Amino acid sequence: MMDIIFSMGLVGFMLSMLGMGLLIAYYGSSKTRNVGVGFLLLGIVLAYYLVEMPSNHLVDTSDVVFWNGMLAFIGGMTGGIIGIVIFLIAIIKS
Amino acid sequence: MDMSMNFDGELVMDFFVSMLLIGIGVALLATGMFTSYFGAGKSQKIGFALLFFGIAILAYFIVLYPLDENTFMEALISGVSVLSGMVIGMFMILFVLMKVDTVDDLEDLDLEDLEDLDLDEELKKLEEELNQADNKEDEE
Repeated sequence: MMDIIFSMGLVGFMLSMLGMGLLIAYYGSSKTRNVGVGFLLLGIVLAYYLVEMPSNHLVDTSDVVFWNGMLAFIGGMTGGIIGIVIFLIAIIKS
Repeated sequence: MDMSMNFDGELVMDFFVSMLLIGIGVALLATGMFTSYFGAGKSQKIGFALLFFGIAILAYFIVLYPLDENTFMEALISGVSVLSGMVIGMFMILFVLMKVDTVDDLEDLDLEDLEDLDLDEELKKLEEELNQADNKEDEE
């Protein structure tokens, strides 16, 4: 169970680093941009760690459990978006 | 990278659809609570409807429990873990951005001009100008 929590937490951390790093590196200026590039690099390193090191004991991306977790996460995010879209449609159409 | 997941269709449906429904339920519950509390008239009624559907979807999972317990808990823990990781990442980014001195154009500011300014002198000049304007109006 701790493996799932750690590996999926790391995936979430990586996603926020990549997403926010891209935004900050693109829209930031001078020092802020440098910080954004740093976040982006950290995200890329984490992604490399997750993808290319399946043999370590903490994160095993070749494991079915990991991809089940990814499916659950994608499903949850999609469900949340659908719920908000339903809310918006209901409010706008009223 | 081994992408062979060895899924049978049932398991994919279990993980994906269960979390999809939970996501819809939580979103409807949250937006329904918000709209029914802050809305008025028609909006409030829509809020109550959204709240009802949100509770119904979540109650379906809690009361009827259509999935294998282990599968459901695994999916839920995975989803919550990813979201926690994302929140931690966001907080870390905010913390670093707040700590980093992002104003680096201070050197460009001409602070010597500000230091040379004598505020008392400037105030006296302004008062004199105002007095002169008042005197002119009185003479007229």
